[in-house]
Amino acid sequence: MAELTQSTPPAKSVLEIPLWQVRLRLLWRSLKTNLALFAENPIGLVGVAIIAFFFMFTIIHPILMNTVWDKNTYDPVVGYDAEIPFHPAPPSAKHILGTDPLGRDVLSQLMWSTRSEFILGLVAALVSVVIATTIGAITAYYGGFIDNFFMRLADIVIMLPYISILIVMSALFDLTLPVLALILGILGGFGGTTIIIKSQALTIKVRTYIEAARVAGGGDFHIILRHIIPNLMPLSFLYMMFAVNGAIASEAVLSFFGLLNIRMSWGLMIYTSSYSGYLLDFQKWWLIFPASLSISMLCAAFYLVGRAMDEIINPRLRKR
Amino acid sequence: MRRYLLNRLAQNILIFFAFLTLVYVLVDAQPGSYADQYLSDPRLTPAQREILKKNLGLDRPVLERYFLWLRNAFRGDFGISFSNYPRQVLDVIAERAPRTIILFLTATILSYYIGFLTGKILAWKRGGWGEYAATIGGVGLYTVFLPWFALMMVWFWAYTLKVFPIGKFLDPVLWRQSPVDANYVFTRMLITAFLSALILFIVFILARRLNPAQRTPVRLVTLAVVLIGIFAYWSSTGVGRYAADILHHLVLPIFTLATVNFAGTMLLTRNSMLETLREDYIMAAKAKGLPDQIVRDKHASRNALLPVVTSFVLAVAFILDGGVITETTFSWPGMGLTLLSAALVQDIPMVVGALVFTGIMALSAHLIADLLYAFLDPRIRYA
Amino acid sequence: MSETVLRVDDLTMHYTTRAGEVSAVNNVSFSLQRGQSMGLVGESGCGKTSVAFSLMKLLPDNAHIKQGHIYLNGTDVVSLREEDMRKLRWSKISMVFQAAMNALNPVYKVGDQILEAMETHGLVETLQSAREHIASLFELVGLDPKLMDQYPHEYSGGMRQRAVIAMALSCNPDIIIADEPTTALDVIVQDALLREMIELQKKLNMSMIYISHDIAVIAEVTERIGVMYAGRMAEFGSAVEIFKHPLHPYTFGLMSSFPSIVGEKRELVSLPGEPPDLINPPSGCRFHPRCPYATEICSQQDPEFKDLGGDHYVACWHPLEAN
Repeated sequence: MAELTQSTPPAKSVLEIPLWQVRLRLLWRSLKTNLALFAENPIGLVGVAIIAFFFMFTIIHPILMNTVWDKNTYDPVVGYDAEIPFHPAPPSAKHILGTDPLGRDVLSQLMWSTRSEFILGLVAALVSVVIATTIGAITAYYGGFIDNFFMRLADIVIMLPYISILIVMSALFDLTLPVLALILGILGGFGGTTIIIKSQALTIKVRTYIEAARVAGGGDFHIILRHIIPNLMPLSFLYMMFAVNGAIASEAVLSFFGLLNIRMSWGLMIYTSSYSGYLLDFQKWWLIFPASLSISMLCAAFYLVGRAMDEIINPRLRKR
Repeated sequence: MRRYLLNRLAQNILIFFAFLTLVYVLVDAQPGSYADQYLSDPRLTPAQREILKKNLGLDRPVLERYFLWLRNAFRGDFGISFSNYPRQVLDVIAERAPRTIILFLTATILSYYIGFLTGKILAWKRGGWGEYAATIGGVGLYTVFLPWFALMMVWFWAYTLKVFPIGKFLDPVLWRQSPVDANYVFTRMLITAFLSALILFIVFILARRLNPAQRTPVRLVTLAVVLIGIFAYWSSTGVGRYAADILHHLVLPIFTLATVNFAGTMLLTRNSMLETLREDYIMAAKAKGLPDQIVRDKHASRNALLPVVTSFVLAVAFILDGGVITETTFSWPGMGLTLLSAALVQDIPMVVGALVFTGIMALSAHLIADLLYAFLDPRIRYA
Repeated sequence: MSETVLRVDDLTMHYTTRAGEVSAVNNVSFSLQRGQSMGLVGESGCGKTSVAFSLMKLLPDNAHIKQGHIYLNGTDVVSLREEDMRKLRWSKISMVFQAAMNALNPVYKVGDQILEAMETHGLVETLQSAREHIASLFELVGLDPKLMDQYPHEYSGGMRQRAVIAMALSCNPDIIIADEPTTALDVIVQDALLREMIELQKKLNMSMIYISHDIAVIAEVTERIGVMYAGRMAEFGSAVEIFKHPLHPYTFGLMSSFPSIVGEKRELVSLPGEPPDLINPPSGCRFHPRCPYATEICSQQDPEFKDLGGDHYVACWHPLEAN
């Protein structure tokens, strides 16, 4: 149905309206139908709801820190509650999710970390998708040596056990959050995502409007930039969702092993507890559960959104 | 067919070389390698430093060092592991790799088998809340934070129910008076498993040529014979209870891994099946009046299998990655745990050895995948 | 009068879509005798293929037969249970698909795919005799019997089409539906194949429903013609009758949009406008917005589908003869 509405241009007045307005209107209309499709799928909505829930954390945390929460007690990294004699303390009215072995508020840590998870995920995803889309469009358009080179490179990259390599890297130099985001983005961008986006670009390349653009005298650069890449966008956006989920999961695992040089993250929260010997202490659930659940849920949320988008973008999965 | 396989073989070998190079660059291009630490000892005189440099081979040009490394890597000589001093890296790998492989191969095969079956059914019966529940549950399992999930499994099965041991490869108390060491028993277990799997595989394949009525009895009898044979062999050796101990320790990690991986396969199979079900030959098969089950199992799933095979290969290639996480949680002394602990103490030879091991695993997996593709898709076989 | 193998009575089928109910087939009636060939013509989207799939009851989940009956050898298949319908498919009514090129599963040998259909319907006594039967079918459709042990991708487009026809014949059905089976092929192969199919149908005394958008082709090869418009049967009768005296303005329009090589020179008339939206079909006669003869009544009341004599049915308020 989406194509149907897209392909019906406003019949009469097309010549009187400036081009950008027509484009905007078409964009808006396709967005609207796609949103309607998306809203029909409870799976995607569940994902969006979870993401919104965590995004709320990033907004609420600074507000709480500046109003209700005392800085010395609730700071996620250097805070300490001196009124409680023994840490980790179980959940109470003051500390809704208890305190960690170092006397810091778990809820505050959880909320504070959300922001860095989002930044990491989005940066990694953006880097990976920009690389993959560019390479995908170029290799599909030109073919030949460039194509061969990047596809063989992708073959190697998808073979890399990247967690193991990151572990090795972290042993050799300091891995900070931006560096990690960059590495994950590059590994993703040159790997599997490129292969998928390229195969999509190949199907676009043979469409008639590309031929038409070429006949009309469009240069290679113009065609790639104005015709191929815009048509790859939906797929790129979709793979961004999967990349976010991969980046967050990787960070969590590396932090869990204590290999990253970061101030606070969900993975690090679990590492701190396990480092202090509480990993198998199932009575103190607040040390492991909130962070683990957050990692799992945020990853699942992005994955669910990606899947729901897949069913819209990929007509072969559509129900009718 | 032959050209296709030769082509793929050449490509894979090329990729493997590139991988080895990458591992070399990764280690050699590091600022501050262990050699530098060693050399920067202030008590060394410049002359001594030169001698050391020469002994370590650091005075030679990069390219020469690279080829030297390649040569040694092919001879299986990765040097001596610092953290397992004075054992050779290869020796450590030879001990630990089978433990990882057996753990992951069993779990992966199990999860793909179950995942494929469930995904197939999920795609066939599309719509309704069952589908949403299965998808959300599947995604939940697929994206769950693995260390935590493993921990929960330990908590539930080992801590609360006390059905399985909490972790580790064996029970040290039991093994104290053991006449043989763990590797002795484990090697024999591997051989037994391999031989019985081979016998079963051959008999099952041969049984396909028999009449449908005879097929199942023949297979069941063979299975019974093999099981009795295994039981007889292990009772006669006298170390059966030690083997049983190792098996007992294997169950929980395999179960955990299979549960997590099965979800991913299920989701993938579902999508792949949905795409196949739109093909015209599925409609044709239905029009021919074939029963639904045959349309699904013979026509659709055979074609939907290809992407699943690809993902299976990638899963095998990522054994070490999964190994790091699972083996840490279960204290399973395999390659993953070895890599992590080696990395933490900068045991570079061990790390490199572990990475090359993964490369070999991935390479073999890709080759097997190429063979499987040729077997499954006649378009490749006769191209 | 010979035996009626198929009678469709007042068939109505709807699709439920996001945008609303699509009335794809509406009150369609026709019948077919044994050994007779029939053409079903109309623009794309007029419901030809929907009729074909309704006959085989191979409808997607969102399609519902709202009313009407389909009598196949006297049995009403609309109310038939799926399991019983499955046994009728291919053994009584088989089909050559529109995209026959893709109707063969790429991972199985062509011969095995035919064998499978025969096996399902209990037509295989020994493997040897079954293979001989398939070999004879291959010869019948002009294929080398040796090809039956090859895979579909080793065939050319035309060969695949022939294989699919052989497959459709394999269980000796009473009726074969051919849904634009030649559109994917080049013109010369198309024509040859079409003639061969008609020959085969005569030789084997089967009934055939031939679906096409090309009324000239249909009129040339089939005995009876049904013209469909927007899910309705507009006109139904013998090919000669319809070609000589079309009654419905739409049929006339369709015929005029093809040049005639043998007949006198005529001006080519193209039908103005587009086929209607089947979610909100026009009131009254569905053709009235495009009809040059439309009057008030056309937009208000639905014309009845009735026999105007000589077994020539039409649904029109102003049949052309009358004008």
